[in-house]
Amino acid sequence: MADVDEEDYVYFGTPIEREEEISSRKRKAIAEPGTLRSLPPWKQEVTDEEGRRRFHGAFTGGYSAGYYNTVGSKEGWTPQTFTSSRKNRAEVKKQNIYSFLDEDDLKDIGGNTLETSMQYDTFGFTAAEFARKKAEEEQKKRPSAIPGPAPDEIVLPASSSIGMRLLMKMGWRQGHSIKDSNAESLSEIRREARKAFMALSSNNAEPDISEKDADGTDEFPDMSIDVLRNSENTPVYVLNPKQDMYGLGYDPFKHAPEFRDSKRLRESKSRETKRSKVHMGSLLSSNSKKYAPGFGIGALEELDAEDEDIYASGFDYEQTEVELEPSKAVSSSSGDRMLQLENKKRGSLLGFKLASDSDYKLERFYPPAIPSNFRPIHKFGAPLDQTLKNYNSVPPPDAPPPEDTNLRLLIEGSAAMVARCGKSIEDLYMEKSKTNPLFLFLKSGAEGYDYYVRKLWENKQKFVDNLKPAEKLTAENRGRILGERPLASTTSRVNDVSVKAREVINTQSSHGDTVTKPISLADLPDSAIKQFKHDPAKQERFELFLKEKYQGGLRASGTRSSTSTSTMSEADRARERLDFEAAAEAIEKGKQTIQISAPSTDHTKDLLGFGEDRFVPSTLIENSETKLEETNVVYPKREQFEWRPSPILCKRFDLIDPYMGKPPPVPRPRSKMDSLIFLPEIFKSSNKEDAKSPIGNSLEASKSGLKEAEAEPSASEADVAPTSPKNVERPVDLYKAIFSDDSDDDEADAGPALNQAPNPVKSSEGANKTLNRLVAGDFLESLGKELGLEVPPDSIPGPSLNANTVSLPEEQKSFKGGDDRDNTLFPKVKETKSKDYGSTVDSSREKKRSHSKHHRRRSRTPDLDLDSGSDSDSHRRHRSRSKKRRDRRDRSRSRDSESSDEAYMNRKERRKKYHSRHHEHKKKDYGDKYSDKKRRS
Amino acid sequence: MASSGWELAVNESGVLKGHEGAVLAVRFNGDGNYCLTCGKDRTLRLWNPHRGIHIKTYKSHAREVRDVHVTTDNAKLVSCGGDRQLFYWDVSSGRVIRKFRGHDSEVNSVKFNEYNAVVVSAGYDRSVRAFDCRSQSTEPIQIIDTFQDSVMSVHLTKTEIIAGCVDGTVRTFDIRMGRELVDQLGHPVNCISLSNDANCVLASCLDSTLRLLDRSTGELLQEYKGHKCKSYKMDCCLTNTDAHVVSGSEDGFIYFWDLVDASIVSSFRAHSSVVTSVSYHPKDVCMLTSSVDGTIKVWRK
Repeated sequence: MADVDEEDYVYFGTPIEREEEISSRKRKAIAEPGTLRSLPPWKQEVTDEEGRRRFHGAFTGGYSAGYYNTVGSKEGWTPQTFTSSRKNRAEVKKQNIYSFLDEDDLKDIGGNTLETSMQYDTFGFTAAEFARKKAEEEQKKRPSAIPGPAPDEIVLPASSSIGMRLLMKMGWRQGHSIKDSNAESLSEIRREARKAFMALSSNNAEPDISEKDADGTDEFPDMSIDVLRNSENTPVYVLNPKQDMYGLGYDPFKHAPEFRDSKRLRESKSRETKRSKVHMGSLLSSNSKKYAPGFGIGALEELDAEDEDIYASGFDYEQTEVELEPSKAVSSSSGDRMLQLENKKRGSLLGFKLASDSDYKLERFYPPAIPSNFRPIHKFGAPLDQTLKNYNSVPPPDAPPPEDTNLRLLIEGSAAMVARCGKSIEDLYMEKSKTNPLFLFLKSGAEGYDYYVRKLWENKQKFVDNLKPAEKLTAENRGRILGERPLASTTSRVNDVSVKAREVINTQSSHGDTVTKPISLADLPDSAIKQFKHDPAKQERFELFLKEKYQGGLRASGTRSSTSTSTMSEADRARERLDFEAAAEAIEKGKQTIQISAPSTDHTKDLLGFGEDRFVPSTLIENSETKLEETNVVYPKREQFEWRPSPILCKRFDLIDPYMGKPPPVPRPRSKMDSLIFLPEIFKSSNKEDAKSPIGNSLEASKSGLKEAEAEPSASEADVAPTSPKNVERPVDLYKAIFSDDSDDDEADAGPALNQAPNPVKSSEGANKTLNRLVAGDFLESLGKELGLEVPPDSIPGPSLNANTVSLPEEQKSFKGGDDRDNTLFPKVKETKSKDYGSTVDSSREKKRSHSKHHRRRSRTPDLDLDSGSDSDSHRRHRSRSKKRRDRRDRSRSRDSESSDEAYMNRKERRKKYHSRHHEHKKKDYGDKYSDKKRRS
Repeated sequence: MASSGWELAVNESGVLKGHEGAVLAVRFNGDGNYCLTCGKDRTLRLWNPHRGIHIKTYKSHAREVRDVHVTTDNAKLVSCGGDRQLFYWDVSSGRVIRKFRGHDSEVNSVKFNEYNAVVVSAGYDRSVRAFDCRSQSTEPIQIIDTFQDSVMSVHLTKTEIIAGCVDGTVRTFDIRMGRELVDQLGHPVNCISLSNDANCVLASCLDSTLRLLDRSTGELLQEYKGHKCKSYKMDCCLTNTDAHVVSGSEDGFIYFWDLVDASIVSSFRAHSSVVTSVSYHPKDVCMLTSSVDGTIKVWRK
């Protein structure tokens, strides 16, 4: 049967079968083993002679050893941890992989291997490996959700070996050599070692030892120094193939690297001799230091003279023993050593000797003798300031530079020197001028003298200006430097202004070339200057203005703003400037008349009187209220703002957050400039609406102010009313900024969209528009409710928006006065509109494009920037601010419209031009005006 | 005036020595039994001023310490100074529990709130910042940066944060109302101090004037002049009875004014150098002064 089976059965592979199949098949197999042959290999079963199934495939060797069809142990699957005995309680058994492996498996793994102890792994080379293995072991021991060894990254290698730890305990630190700094003990050990070695190596060496000891004691102090010096670092570990027979890490030339080369030479020689075996004896005898054969020199042994070359040619032990001549060697070596010692004492390198006399000598200079009457405080002969003041008071006339460029340069240079160093230098130059013709210009009347004087003065001025900021830095000074708004009452006003005025005069006259009118204020009649007697602060400013105008010539806006009170708002400043400008002009005229007809003072008085009359009332009327809060601010002054505590702060203070559930705050302007522009109006509007909105809630207030403002233009687009400019103008921009859709476009689009509403040709864009309109309508309605206005229902948000119908040409005039701003809104747009009157979609696109074009052009000419929608956010932001200023200016202009501001007139004219063009091209945009007119009537 | 003079702490009763260098602030604790000082030597010191005992020194600051405040339960300290951080200390162990960061520059003043849960600090970086002591975060929970200049001094009431600033304002941040009240004084404010009834705020301005403001209306009640205060950070305070106003002077003097009629009741030389800080006992007639000369003096009636 066995023979037959041999052929039939397949011997490898472990079939996996379902149990029921197996059991059924087993029975079958027992019943009729012959049928197995017909079965495929994976269905065949192994049975013993009696038809029992012996091979189970559970393990690699898979025969059940007596325990039939079980695990292979007596207990079977019974858990090992379970013991029924009450006394013999279950212990926590440590399981490792070996408890699951049999001998074969162990053999495969490697089984009972010898392992190195990491305790002596000084350099930790295998520490990482060890740690990993340990971790693996641990992994095996403890039950874990994740089978297999832990990844290497998780396990950190153990770092220090036991030796390392011991050393650390003893005070050694990484990076230092292991050598003890206490060289005495070390030398002690070394001596002992050497003694032992000598005793071992030769019997007749006793006298030598004693001699050496004597020498050695001499040597040790030096050695200890050496040790100290070298104990800083461990030597660099260099990977060299080991070619010698020294102990591991032993380097005979550790402290004498200069001998390494000679050794190498010798080595090569000795090799040659070995090869030839001719001169061996003589060579070795010359190599007389080799008196110490055999073992014995340990790692402790320092390199000493006597045992220098002890292993020099390791292959020649026998010979050296034979050839040794101890007495000779010692004497010569001791001679050598003496030399070395001497060198060491001198502090030079081994094998080198200090020169007895050197050429180099350090030269020493003694400090100069201080005269007995010397006082270590320097007093300046003449104070610089006084001379400077002289220069200040009378500026010398401007002089043309001499033609000779060399001379000019010389003059300029010497002027600068004199200005910096004082009169003494000038005197020195004067001395020189007696001999050197180059310095002739110093004499008055000579060529270039005037120029020199002028240059000197200019340089002095510059010098003074440079000196100024070196004052003590107070809070005010710092504020001024940083361009902060000075606290109005920190310094007494008059002083401040006068100081500033002086400064301004200084700086401006220092730029002598740019001075246009060097006329002093002094020759103006007093009454002429006192134009604003009723208001001293203003009078001061006016005087300052005059000074700048007449003496400075330079009237850069920067200097002006720094000197004039920056507490004023931009618009007021502009207005005041206009006043001043006009007054100054009047004075100018008056002076001219003085110059023409000197005695007729009555006339000038008349004129001035006229001027006074002329300017007093206007300023009085306009500024009377603003003045109060501007200049004569009464301190302390209380202001109130919204402030949002953070919720957590409220919680920690045990208070209820006042802004709980409210929308996020409106960003508050950071700079004072912004607050000057924004806040007053916000608060005004909040005051106005106090009736409607809760008091103190300025957020609400500003918001509703916004809404109101939005409603206004929508309700009265063309009604641009100088009557309520405050509420209309600023917030429109704000609104535009917030509702980021280009509202100009919306306004422009809404019109045609309305018109085309009944148009059968409706595009998707049209649908969008109607949607927008619906939303806008809702918004307007809500606004209307809030403001108590009648807003027509959704379908006609129209009367406010542009209804493009033709209107009468007579109405043009009516816009000019008030509504020029709005009419110039879209000059270009209107052009394009007139082109494609009927088609909506294209025109709206075109409009957008032309819009942006329009903006680009406008940004170049800010004067014309009267109103526009902007596409870019930044532009919008910028505009909203600039517009505010503009609005104020507009207002001021409308008030004193008779003032002769040329720029303003220009602007007006230009605007008119726009107008006419706009009216030429645009025929249908008058509808809104028309409707407005209707509404107004 | 002479009649009320007897109740002023004008007699020197002790000197606390130990600081190396200028002492920048001296503060009584809540019940007035202990005091804390801090100075240029980067330390905080805890004293018993009545017995003249130095109890503990707290070291951790890297720069000078400008202000210190202690909780009502005397368990925690908070200090600030030139190293831009607030140190939150455990009083007994002397360890730093936390360091609050966030200021961009030197911190001038620091205070706990009533529940010791929030620390509010005022800094040279033009901001007042509030830090949460109860969370682990070291970042501020609130930054108030409406100031235009260095904030010199901060005080807290139950519902408000009051801060004096070099931009000439005393700002009151009312947490309950969500309001900021700005009282412009027109002069850089060096230090503010609250009256004991918390109805008035005393502001020391750099024009050598103390100004007393009514807190509810912002009205200027009185001005006190005579001392010198132009460039140093100096403290001012009211006496325990709110009857007098006290301030140091840059010439080493201490000035007492009558609260109502602003007359100088008493002035005497206390230190050889600038008087940096004064602190009045909450109940007794006892005052502490500190100076650049490195000493702290205890004054009694």
